Amino acid sequence: MTSLIEPTQLKHSLGDDGILFVRNDSIFDTMVKTPLLVASMIIVAALLPIQSSFSSPRDLDLIIYPDGTTHVTTEIEVDPFLTDYELNLFGSTIDNLVVIGDNEFLLDTNIIDDSVLIQTFGTTVISIEYDIHDLVSKQGKLWTFYLDSPSDFKLLLPQNSAIVGMTNLPINMEIVNDQNQLTLSSGKTEIDYFFSTNTITNPIVEPKNEIDYFSYLIIGGIIVIVLIGITIFVRNKQKNLNSVEHIEIPIKNNILNLETIFKLKPDLREDDKELVKFIFNNDGEALESELRKKFLQPRTTMWRAVKRLEREGVIEIEKKDLQNLVKLRKNMEEEQ
Amino acid sequence: MKKLALFTIIVLVFGTISPSLANNAYAQTDPNILLRIAIQADKQVVNQLNNIYSNQVPKNIEILYDEGHTAVNSLDESLSNNDIEKAKRDFLLAMNSFMQISRIISQSSENVVVKTTLDISNQKISNELDRLEKYVEKLESISKKHNDVAQNSDKFPTAYSLIKEIRNQISTGENPSENINELKILVDSIKNDMRKSAAEKQSTAIKRFFERLIDQIDQKVIQVKDSGVDQTEIDKAKGLILEIRELLSKNQINSAKIVYSELKVVLKNIGISVRIT
Repeated sequence: MTSLIEPTQLKHSLGDDGILFVRNDSIFDTMVKTPLLVASMIIVAALLPIQSSFSSPRDLDLIIYPDGTTHVTTEIEVDPFLTDYELNLFGSTIDNLVVIGDNEFLLDTNIIDDSVLIQTFGTTVISIEYDIHDLVSKQGKLWTFYLDSPSDFKLLLPQNSAIVGMTNLPINMEIVNDQNQLTLSSGKTEIDYFFSTNTITNPIVEPKNEIDYFSYLIIGGIIVIVLIGITIFVRNKQKNLNSVEHIEIPIKNNILNLETIFKLKPDLREDDKELVKFIFNNDGEALESELRKKFLQPRTTMWRAVKRLEREGVIEIEKKDLQNLVKLRKNMEEEQ
Repeated sequence: MKKLALFTIIVLVFGTISPSLANNAYAQTDPNILLRIAIQADKQVVNQLNNIYSNQVPKNIEILYDEGHTAVNSLDESLSNNDIEKAKRDFLLAMNSFMQISRIISQSSENVVVKTTLDISNQKISNELDRLEKYVEKLESISKKHNDVAQNSDKFPTAYSLIKEIRNQISTGENPSENINELKILVDSIKNDMRKSAAEKQSTAIKRFFERLIDQIDQKVIQVKDSGVDQTEIDKAKGLILEIRELLSKNQINSAKIVYSELKVVLKNIGISVRIT
């Protein structure tokens, strides 16, 4: 005698192909603790940018001049809690070094062999420019560029130069002012080039921008998710609006007027004053994303501006629904 | 709540994996550039071989060239077949062959003098001057933003007129080295002015940062006092801390920075890391 086991709830829905459907509503809750999963994901997501942020160049651009000298431009995020930052230069023959910090003030530097000690004192991002003679060598008519780069970089070759050898694969190549600009990956790169006296019969054509549907799919997906998030956020906010309103009114009244703020902080930059005006007119608070949209600034520029205002004691930053809420400080006068 | 949690998970998963997806996409930008670079290198090598050897190309170079040229043809074919991995291998093989040829050619043609020594020397000075001019322009753009001392002095116009004079000297064949040295000294002086000005304008912020830092270092020095650290080093550190505080109270921030660099060495000996919290 054989016993037949059937899922009683779905008995009627078994199709001709015999696929068995089982209710799984509770599996997620019983097998995986949702809050635990969310918390661990948040930790992973939070750690990823931290791992790659400090001390890693955001941008690295190199321009080779006709005499083989190379101009290096880079931007690096540094730890704002340290007094100085030691940067490894790509060689020891350095000229025309310029290092600027958050407020675009020159920072003090001290070159020791092939590194530079930069006095950062609270700066979050430093921009560095210098000329270096160590990256290109010449034998006969052949010029050789060599670099062991810590990150991907762009390399602009001199005009009329023709590449005749390279040791690794380029990520991209463009024509900028009749010069070849290569995008190369991190690690060791060696490129040989000649200065071409004969015209090349088949010049390099600027690569066409082919549509990358996969990228669009990713961007589209992110936009949809963000829109859903905003909808949920707005709905929740509308629900809570009435209960919150009576708390907010007295807070707004405590904010200093603009004249007083600017009088207390006479050294504020003009663009920072514009930010303060906008926040003030927006009832004393605004999301950082709103500021970015209003002033059409990239994320990092706005973040630096907001951090600057926070250091000046004009604003305070609060986390609200995973976003930065920028609020004018209420006790500025007392602090002065 | 459950929906919100699920939504958060989706966002986080997407946020976590999207950078790696973007990187992969970036690494595969238009593989046709490999062919363009390889063809350009091939043509350049042929030009060089024609210029140097005419029709009598040495056997070893000929073998290398055949290897490189075959790899370029194979690269073209691989790209047509959408075989990106093989295309990459072909590219590296071709470029390696051309690189070897170029190095052999350059060794044999090392003694060929294309320009006179004076031309080369003038060209070198001209290049150096171009870079100095860019440097001055960069400093001026920073200076303009802060309207600092250097901006209000006549140093920038003097630098530009010196640059103009040096260019004239190069074109007339005069020796510009004296003016170049003068220009370099002037640029250093501009940079010093700007540093001083920046230090003054940022003094409040740096002072506040410094005071916090020194307070925390002081605390750490007190904490390590009983942990067997050499008392002389601790006393030295305390003396330097006092000195920095005194300099800060007099607003002598640059001097405080100098003393701080001494303090850092002492702290390293004691085993205290310097990072404010």
